[in-house]
Amino acid sequence: MKGERLRRMIDLHAWLGMVSGLALFVAFFAGAINVFHHELHHWQEPHSAEQAAAPMGMDGLLEQVTEQYPDARKRLYLLPDEDPGVMWFESSEGDWVTAHATDFNAEGVREDVPRSALADFINELHFALGIPNPGWPINIGMTFMGLISVMYGVALFSGLLIHWPKIRKEFFALKHEGNMRRYWKNLHNVIGIISFPFHLIMSVTGAAMGMFTVVAVLLGALVFGPQLRGVISEETEVWSAVDSQGDTVTMPLMDDVLAAARNELPELTVDWLEIRGYGDAAGWIDVAGSVPGYLGHHAHVVLDPTLGPLRVIAPGQRSVNFASLSPVYSLHFGDYGGLLVKLLYFALGLLGSLLFVSGNILWCERRSDRTGPSRSSAFLLRLTLGVCAGVVIGIAFSFLASKLLPHTPLAGLVAVAERGVFALILVLLVAWSLRASPLRFSSQMLRLAPLCYLAIPLLHTGLEGAHAWLEADNRLVNLLLLAVAACLWVVRRQFRKRIRQAEPHPLWVGKVSEGDPKHLTDTELEADAEALNSAT
Amino acid sequence: MRYFLGILLSLPLSLMLVGLLAAALPMPWQGWLVLQLIVAITLWMVLALLVALPAKTWPPMAALLVANLAAWLALQATPLYGVGA
Repeated sequence: MKGERLRRMIDLHAWLGMVSGLALFVAFFAGAINVFHHELHHWQEPHSAEQAAAPMGMDGLLEQVTEQYPDARKRLYLLPDEDPGVMWFESSEGDWVTAHATDFNAEGVREDVPRSALADFINELHFALGIPNPGWPINIGMTFMGLISVMYGVALFSGLLIHWPKIRKEFFALKHEGNMRRYWKNLHNVIGIISFPFHLIMSVTGAAMGMFTVVAVLLGALVFGPQLRGVISEETEVWSAVDSQGDTVTMPLMDDVLAAARNELPELTVDWLEIRGYGDAAGWIDVAGSVPGYLGHHAHVVLDPTLGPLRVIAPGQRSVNFASLSPVYSLHFGDYGGLLVKLLYFALGLLGSLLFVSGNILWCERRSDRTGPSRSSAFLLRLTLGVCAGVVIGIAFSFLASKLLPHTPLAGLVAVAERGVFALILVLLVAWSLRASPLRFSSQMLRLAPLCYLAIPLLHTGLEGAHAWLEADNRLVNLLLLAVAACLWVVRRQFRKRIRQAEPHPLWVGKVSEGDPKHLTDTELEADAEALNSAT
Repeated sequence: MRYFLGILLSLPLSLMLVGLLAAALPMPWQGWLVLQLIVAITLWMVLALLVALPAKTWPPMAALLVANLAAWLALQATPLYGVGA
């Protein structure tokens, strides 16, 4: 690639990285934890709540919910568990509502039982940066993250073009040769190269999910016309909408429904059930789950209320659209290969966070080196440090609030507190980072962050004793939190090592002057040399 | 600004190019909608990258505008829009 062109690629890569880097840091750090979303749902339940026996099973719960909330009859999701849950759209509240069997007292009246919403909050941080959706036709946060994913994809391709000519040379080049900044640049490159396939998967699948609404609208407007809308639901929904004739039917027992589904698809592992038209003869039940051993493992068995099979969607028995949609989800969420693949996604997610923060820092230092003292570079460095520390420590405090508050008189505020404490910590740390010396701020945050993540399992053990480690999901989540603490400690150690071995860049101590030496990267030096050669 | 415009103008072009592909292939377009979405997203990324290659700003922008117009006109010649279902 010609020098001038290479320079533009580097500029594009840096611009896209700067625009999307902070949002991607949030998405990847929250996403690494969100890989264990189901386990976290279990972890967030207080031990005392788990001990209370569920007063009713799935059938009793469905009966209570559909009697008291007519909206639930139209469409509901049933989550089979020890404490089964039902989710439906409540038009009076304009939102989806979840009720568990333990929410109902002996008289069948639903009580307002305070529940942690930590797993859902982490999930929202991951896919929408926690931006609330006020019921608009388009989810702003999710679409924004879709656009960020597209920029991230372009940054990946441009990064590949920049490094391709010397990819073999740089692959294991994790050395600093007396220049510690080279170490961080090489670390950025090595992480980027090693995890390139993972990042490519994340960018394409993330963009496909986030930009789905926008792309569907544009496809309809520019390519397929109004016919597209009906086709999308026809091609991606498991069965058509209920065309009620007013005939009622007695709903089958859910155990019989599960048995009928397994009869149609013996290897099915059930995740949830969707019931459309509860008690309506024209209604249907979708038993959704997985067939282990496939990348696109999602499967559905659709039954009518008399348990007659309507449709089976499973690996080997599905349309091209379902066969291509399933891997989009499973590749993004990493739920296709068991615990090992999930742990790999967790590690790659944390490494991705390091990739984005190191990229931002490199860009700030590089810009300061190339163009001289810059207020915007100093601001961006401080903002990067503030947001990253705020997100990491804020999430830890959300975990702490989730465990601590149910044991206090403020138990009813647990879900609000989890979000509130995160927002408060984030705002405070960003404000602090904009005033403090970046070097001192980073040192303090890197000392605090591992302790925060170490405190969560300790608090959990103190509150719930051996249950925090004996129960499989609790043990896994607590071990992951300890792993995050260990990773943050390693970053702290490397950071201190850098300070000991090399003088920090002037930007870190707020002293940038015209006389500071400029440090161009190897690629930039080569691009400059090639540009000079072509000019002469 | 150049990169931003490049990303903006590449989106409709990538969708229309995929639409033209759907019209050209001898299979019902409804049957592979999800694949079209994935191809369009990937194409969008590649087009946004290509915009950054030329030295001057206006040629790739003009090329994108012309390509969008050409793709739209070409789509009108296909049976896709509203009548091909």
